[in-house]
Parts: sequence; structure tokens; C-alpha cells
Amino acid sequence: MSNDLTKRTMTLNLTDAEMRALESISTQKDLSKTAVIRQALRLYQLLDARLSKGEKLFFEDEAKSEKSELMLMI
Amino acid sequence: MSSRRKCSLKAPNSDVLVEAQLIDELSKDDLVRAHLEWAPVRLEALKRLYEEKRGWPEHWHWDWSKKADMLDFLAFRCMGIEHEGRMQGLMMLSTVAGKSRLAGQIGKAVLYIEFLETAPWNVRDLVGTPKFLGVGVRLLEAAAEFSVDEGFGGRIALHSLPQSDDFYRKYMTDLGLDSSQSQGLRYFEMSAEQMRIFLEGRKP
Repeated sequence: MSNDLTKRTMTLNLTDAEMRALESISTQKDLSKTAVIRQALRLYQLLDARLSKGEKLFFEDEAKSEKSELMLMI
Repeated sequence: MSSRRKCSLKAPNSDVLVEAQLIDELSKDDLVRAHLEWAPVRLEALKRLYEEKRGWPEHWHWDWSKKADMLDFLAFRCMGIEHEGRMQGLMMLSTVAGKSRLAGQIGKAVLYIEFLETAPWNVRDLVGTPKFLGVGVRLLEAAAEFSVDEGFGGRIALHSLPQSDDFYRKYMTDLGLDSSQSQGLRYFEMSAEQMRIFLEGRKP
């Protein structure tokens, strides 16, 4: 069950640092680099839509009882 | 663009297999149509259960038309099984990878199943004799295959309503009650190895 026929190919230009980050996430998550980029796009689209509606994004550290709003200028 | 492929459901009390279609990407309209078809059947069954002073299924209030807007985002995908134009089961997936909690694969990408439901006429607790059996397993297989397609290695995860715990325990690892989940439900994961055994052992 694959949508390969509907996929398109593009070239992605990354800096060395960006490529290292991509490779690191790819290894850590056991995902291909393409899959990591697709994950990022899905997450970005969702966050952008919810933040655009006025919702806020928080990170919480229960152990330290710290909660901070993540400011994203997207 | 959605695609369809054949899958088999089982008629109860017989060995008869029924050919159905697994649809790998449903639209918002598909969910609304399914809700409109399921709601009256569910309501009628709930009335009967109420009169008989019997308990209701825990997911009795699910409304797929209200979940339809999730499909505005790449982060979600809904699959369904259709037979003769009627939706027999639905499954909403999060395509944003979760982090596995299972020993040996901690932190690796896992496909999370947000919701999985069979049509009310296939729920024994609602109708006594289901019209078709195997809808839940077919959807679970589809999730495992999609996890492979997505590069998640077949790893899948979900939180189960208590009435479904025994079903998922047959195929997945029960990691216990999850205090971080809003309803405190049990958390289940299927490892890549469990997925392999699950898909190899599947019956038509």
C-alpha cells in the first residue's frame, strides 16, 4: 500500500551543520533522511495552523515544575 | 490520492470469507458519510442496551464527523474498510512519528493509532451477532504495513480503552497504564519483530 506513484522528487541544499543534524535524527529515530524531512513538514504544518489560531505551545519539566511557552515565529 | 486493495472479512458462525476493500486514505466526506450511516444504528442499539440495563461500549460517543477536520493536516491519515458501499471500520493514524517506549527500540519512530473503530453492526456488544468479523485485525494489519511504508519499521502504538485491552494484548506489548495520557489508558506497542510475526501469521 504505497503512494509512490504520487510522489515527486526534489533536490535539497543543506549546510554541513544541517546535514549533520538530519543524519543524527535519522540515526536516532531509525528513519531515512527523506522520512525525517517529511516528518518535519507534517509537524510544521500542524504547529503553524494551531499557532495561527492563537493556540500556544508549552514545554513542561515535571521534575523541576517548570513550564515554558515555546515562542515560534512561524 | 487514495488507493484500494482487497481484504477479507469473515461472516460469523461460518467459514465464509467476504471480499471487502481497504481504502488507504479517506476524505473528510467519507468520514461524515460513515458517521451518518453509523449513528442511527448505534443509537438504536444503545436504546436497547439501556432498556435491558446493560453497559454501553466505552466508545459509544465517538463521532467521526467531528474528527474529519484532522484530515486538513498531513499529520493525520484515515483508513477504512468498505463492503458494498458501507464503511465497516475506520482508523485514524498520526503520521507524525511517536517515540517508542519499548525496550530494544526506545526512541525509534513509531506509528500511533489515534482511533480505531468497527461499524456498530460489527460490534458484538451492540448487536449480539456481528455482521462481519475481523475488521479490527484487518485495520491493525493495515497500520503495521503503513508503518513499514513510512519507514517506521512496522512499529505501531496506541492507547486502548479498557474493553479493548484483551484484543490488543494478543498482538502487542502491554506497557501498562499511562499516567501521562489524559484518560490514563493502557499503552500498547507492537515491535518490528511482533509486526513480522503478526503479518506472517495473518489469515485471509
